Amino acid sequence: MTLNKTPVIALAGNPNVGKTTLFNVLTGSRQTVGNWPGVTVEHKSGSYTHNGVKYEVIDLPGIYSLSGGTPDELVARNFILNQKPDLIINIVDASNLERNLYLTIQLMELGAPILMCLSMADIAERNGLKIELQHLSDHLGFEVMLLTLNKRFDPKLLLRSIENNLQNPPIPASIFYDPIVEQHLDKIWHSTLSNNKLNDSLLDKPLAEDLYWAVQKTRWQAIKLIEGDPEYIFQLDEDDRLAVEKEVKAIEKHRGQEAPNVIADDRYGYIRGLVKDVVKRKHPGNWTFSDSIDRILLSGIMGLPFFFVVMYLVFMIAVRASEPVIGVIESGLSWLFLDALGGLLSLINTPLWLKYLLSDALGGGIVTIGTFVPPIFFIYISLSILEDSGYMARAAFIADKFMRRIGLPGKAFIPLLVGFGCTVPAIMATRTLENPRDRLFASLLTPFMSCGAKLPVYTFLAMIFFPQRADIVIFGLYFFGIVMAILTGLLLKKTVFKSEPGNFVMELPPYHVPTFNGIMMHTWFRLKDFIFRAGKTILIVIIIINILSVITVPNVFSPSHEKVSILQVGGHALTPVLKPMGITQNNWAASVAIITGLFAKEAIVGTMQSLYSGTDLSMELNEDEPSNNLTSNLQNKFGSWKSALAYLLFVVLYSPCVAALTMLFKEHGGKWTFFTFLYLNLLAWLIAMMFYQVMAFSGASFYWLTLGLVILSLIYTNLRYIGNRHERTA
Amino acid sequence: MNARRRMRQWGNRFFQSRRQCPCQRGDCLPMSDLTEGISGTVYCNNDIRTIERGIYVGANIVIFRNEEDEPNIIVSVGDSRYVLDRRIAHKIRVRVD
Repeated sequence: MTLNKTPVIALAGNPNVGKTTLFNVLTGSRQTVGNWPGVTVEHKSGSYTHNGVKYEVIDLPGIYSLSGGTPDELVARNFILNQKPDLIINIVDASNLERNLYLTIQLMELGAPILMCLSMADIAERNGLKIELQHLSDHLGFEVMLLTLNKRFDPKLLLRSIENNLQNPPIPASIFYDPIVEQHLDKIWHSTLSNNKLNDSLLDKPLAEDLYWAVQKTRWQAIKLIEGDPEYIFQLDEDDRLAVEKEVKAIEKHRGQEAPNVIADDRYGYIRGLVKDVVKRKHPGNWTFSDSIDRILLSGIMGLPFFFVVMYLVFMIAVRASEPVIGVIESGLSWLFLDALGGLLSLINTPLWLKYLLSDALGGGIVTIGTFVPPIFFIYISLSILEDSGYMARAAFIADKFMRRIGLPGKAFIPLLVGFGCTVPAIMATRTLENPRDRLFASLLTPFMSCGAKLPVYTFLAMIFFPQRADIVIFGLYFFGIVMAILTGLLLKKTVFKSEPGNFVMELPPYHVPTFNGIMMHTWFRLKDFIFRAGKTILIVIIIINILSVITVPNVFSPSHEKVSILQVGGHALTPVLKPMGITQNNWAASVAIITGLFAKEAIVGTMQSLYSGTDLSMELNEDEPSNNLTSNLQNKFGSWKSALAYLLFVVLYSPCVAALTMLFKEHGGKWTFFTFLYLNLLAWLIAMMFYQVMAFSGASFYWLTLGLVILSLIYTNLRYIGNRHERTA
Repeated sequence: MNARRRMRQWGNRFFQSRRQCPCQRGDCLPMSDLTEGISGTVYCNNDIRTIERGIYVGANIVIFRNEEDEPNIIVSVGDSRYVLDRRIAHKIRVRVD
């Protein structure tokens, strides 16, 4: 048989079986990452050339079955059914053959040509399992080969095998169910589907190959109808639906089980027999090496301390290791885009606006994104190590105990932890949660974790206002953020997210020693995804904000009406709102810093340094206080430590930067981004205002505190309303 | 209207209880009630997600970890180890070996 022009090979298998590693081995660097149409499930495609023929490789999502219960399962099965790949390489974990064969059986039922690769053979051997490959291959009807993806792996054997299988596509063995089930399956197959009711145009085609495919597909559809798959059921007309229901009821009556469970049980019946036949166990003991480690790492005494040590290390790596790299990248990119490019544009007499747009706005945006890269890189390195080693699932199990109290599953601990580094990757890390409710809920809580960019702000102000106790204040601010996250979690659990967190069914994969290539590859894909997808949107927003910071308008808040930037006008306009938290009108620079903090939190320090020092902007500040000193200017304008601490509390809680908001928008849409922005700013104002009014109690404090309580009760009522609406729409 | 809603609630409860694998006294136990180290055979499971992961009727399981104050249990099924939500484990009935 001759090969198609570009044969398409799909890689299918359970999660964590080495699919992506094989994909990387086959395609090298010729890969693209994208989303499946209509859903946010990622897919990777790549290509390689062998003997002059170009092969396209598609990495399907890691799935346990083709039932279509999750978006991953749905896209995988629709790809196989609609795109009909020329070959499916089914990667199977040799150390867990029984569970992995469930997917294989479903692929066989689809009638697709399959080549099976057994990975994790070393773990299987360590667990005393010996798999008879030829015997297994004879039963299944297609080739089964061992895949040991270590340094000695020779891809030639696999490439030859792929070529052979494409030239002579194997026909998988047929799976038969209980005779009574088969009888009803036949009835559905012939009566309901024989006249092409599911729009199967393939049935009209005369080619034998297509006819075989069509027959397999119709049998598959009949099985899906028994399983009650809504995608197929809804395609039937009322009469056929009733006919199918009748057959399904007969099956359920015969077996005393729900029909989908009957099908799954029968599949496992076949698998159990097959495994018994082809797998020999050297020692029948049930406990493995990983179990022995788990007995220590998940124990009541060691489990929690070890978990906290690991999480502390992740935090330390993300924050500490990235610090020096951020400096290098920032200065390097600043030199390149601001100094060198700016200088070059000036040299060739570029118009000022164009120079600003290219060098300051665009270049400044790239510098800002560049500063996000190191923490994201180190966080992803840490996460990849945790994932590849198998500890991530254990960490989620341990964290589940306390995370559930605030309505989140254990896995949500990781995004929240990442939030201490940067909120942007933290929101991205919520993608590891299966349930959309959990993803959204965790994303809403990530801004409460003080990101790395807030630390300079805390340090700067704490050193000025609390020089003796700066460390306690900084620690207290971090702790305050966590407490507010817990309180908000409890509030949202009672109001907006009243349902329980997603049911936990999670596999504990065996422990592995992570490979350097694997970690770097995972990290690179995630980092690339951030730079080229999230980075693009973030860049646009940053450019807009940069432009707003230079477009000047007459200052309506100043009697002289001098021209200042739109951002500064915003600062002046914002100051009366911040008055109840101790920011007086002549301290408008603090309001401007809050606005620039939306651009990037570290900009708060830069803004304060520039506005409270002896620049032209500070002239207004220094009218009544001639001092040019930054520290004394700040102390004078804030008035007391109370207003400074209230300001710091506001900084802890108020809206995350535009990059994080953009990420939130990309993940959860405009409605929830607006909700987060409004909720965080209102909460920050309320807390800071109430703190200041209590600490600097006066006659007006009573009114402000009453107003605070009224707003708090309004927030609660509104959250309940949102929760009820959310519940109704869900 | 109220009567219809009550009827529906009663119907839901009735069919729900049928779906939740009723056991004869002493015949089987909810998986969540088994203590660590106890092995058994799955007697009834109507949760397709766990069936597809290998916790099918007739599968041998061993409880790896089950602490009352934890929301999840760890169960060993063949060569797999699963963290199962206690709510799901409660619905799976097991015959102790």
